[in-house]
Amino acid sequence: MSVYFLHVLILVAIYGILALSLNIIVGFAGLVSLGHAAFFGIGAYLSGLLMISGLGFIEAFILSGVITAILGLFLALPALRVKDDYLAIVTLGFGIIVTLVFMNLDVTGGPDGLVGIPPVMLLGKPLYSKPGFLALTVGILSIMIATVYTLKQSMIGRAWAAIRDNDVTAMFMGINIYTYKALAFITSSFWAGLAGSLYAHYTAYINPHTFSMHTSIKVLAMVVLGGIGSITGSLLGAALLVLLPEVLRPLADYQDIFYGALLVLLMVFRPQGIMGRVKITEMFGRGR
Amino acid sequence: MFLQQLVNGLVVGSVYALVALGYTMIYGILGIINFAQGEIYMYGAFGAVLTLAATGNLGLAVLAGIGSACIVGVLLERIAFRPLRGTHPLIPLISAIGASIFLSSLARLLFGPDDRSFPLEFHPASHSILGAAQITGLQLVIMCVSVGLMVILTLFVNLTKHGKAILAVAMDSDAAKLSGINVNRSYVITFLLGSALSGVAGILMAVYYNATSFSMGTLPGLKAFSAAILGGVGSIPGAIIGGLVLGVAENLGAAYISSNFKDAFAFIALVLVLIIRPRGIMGSRR
Repeated sequence: MSVYFLHVLILVAIYGILALSLNIIVGFAGLVSLGHAAFFGIGAYLSGLLMISGLGFIEAFILSGVITAILGLFLALPALRVKDDYLAIVTLGFGIIVTLVFMNLDVTGGPDGLVGIPPVMLLGKPLYSKPGFLALTVGILSIMIATVYTLKQSMIGRAWAAIRDNDVTAMFMGINIYTYKALAFITSSFWAGLAGSLYAHYTAYINPHTFSMHTSIKVLAMVVLGGIGSITGSLLGAALLVLLPEVLRPLADYQDIFYGALLVLLMVFRPQGIMGRVKITEMFGRGR
Repeated sequence: MFLQQLVNGLVVGSVYALVALGYTMIYGILGIINFAQGEIYMYGAFGAVLTLAATGNLGLAVLAGIGSACIVGVLLERIAFRPLRGTHPLIPLISAIGASIFLSSLARLLFGPDDRSFPLEFHPASHSILGAAQITGLQLVIMCVSVGLMVILTLFVNLTKHGKAILAVAMDSDAAKLSGINVNRSYVITFLLGSALSGVAGILMAVYYNATSFSMGTLPGLKAFSAAILGGVGSIPGAIIGGLVLGVAENLGAAYISSNFKDAFAFIALVLVLIIRPRGIMGSRR
């Protein structure tokens, strides 16, 4: 495998974690977030800064997830007072505010970004090799898929589904909808923070632009393109939208036009997403 | 200082309000957020700037600007929104975002990546004094045009047949259809009106900042979207109040707190208002 191909695969895995984390909010709990890149960025900056200040990789990695999750709760508290499109604009505003904070703080390096982020350290050795990093990322992605899948089948997952389908009915069934909505934000931002941490240590350099609204939109597009609520769909959407710019590279200036048109066309002709209601487990005959 | 920032804020806010009216009308009738409203605004500005550079006729340029905004708006409704009626609310949202990316990158290809200045100079010499604050002739024109359009829109919606049809469709499109209203025509009229207002707003801002570029619509579009939500989406007076509040909050914040965070204040104001009134200032609990 060429180095370039490995690089693309690593990005697919990182964005896969990110898309799947957003799917918890959007697909499982039926909420909207247009500011998900903010959590990705918070995780990335936190992990980079923690490791620069002398912490080991594993501590920085876990802490970045935990702190991002706590910040996710802080967004959830005001955000959950509002619904639907109001929630969309509040999360979008949150994303823009966070980007501006990255852009204007000294500790984050301002618009120039954070330089010299240490590489991943495992067993006292730096992990520079691309196959090694890919294995690490895919490993974490697999753990995530397993937890998210279990979560979806659990009582929490069923409570989310009830809220998504009809929140008033869910409330009458005795589900505390605010707690569960907040839980969706916390879980989701935890994983987004971890994705950010991996991204920061992989690229060794991050800047505010990477975590702007465009990324939030791209991640949401991954979830919707793949099929809202589908785990396989999120991964497929992530793969598609990471690969797309690579495939469209020969088109140069026409890239964005193509990307925009593709989003519209896919929504018009396949609004249920690529996976739709098909489950990969059903495709292989295991039934429901 | 305070009064001056208030005046500047009201001028920018009245333009946000114009775009916000487009958002709110389209939301009210279709229940979707037209994310590409900022791009319609940008095409309005380009239509005017290019026509003015070619012909030198200001009246013609304004008409061309409004015309191009309307064409983009109606095409958008036909291609990106009409096929999506009745789907999951995220679907039209992504479609609109796709349309917005498409339109702005198309503009970059057609008109180039650089800022263009407005081909006609407006002399800000005519200062009228308003207490301690100064208001230029241009600012006065912008405010008068905006307020005039708001009045016309309110009258149109409440008094004319087509306007009342729009209100009826917004209330209940099935019932409207049963009483003989051509629902599709109401959608088109709504998009025409919203696009025309955004087009005018784009032209006004192209003159005010003396800069037209392919990306000029993004931030004003988002802020107008916040303004519509802030005021209570679907409410016409709400959009006007929301626009003015955001314009003022942004200018005061930039002046007294930090100009680096200028773009954040609009959203901070939005979050604060929504915490207290989750359905916006004029929003009704449906």
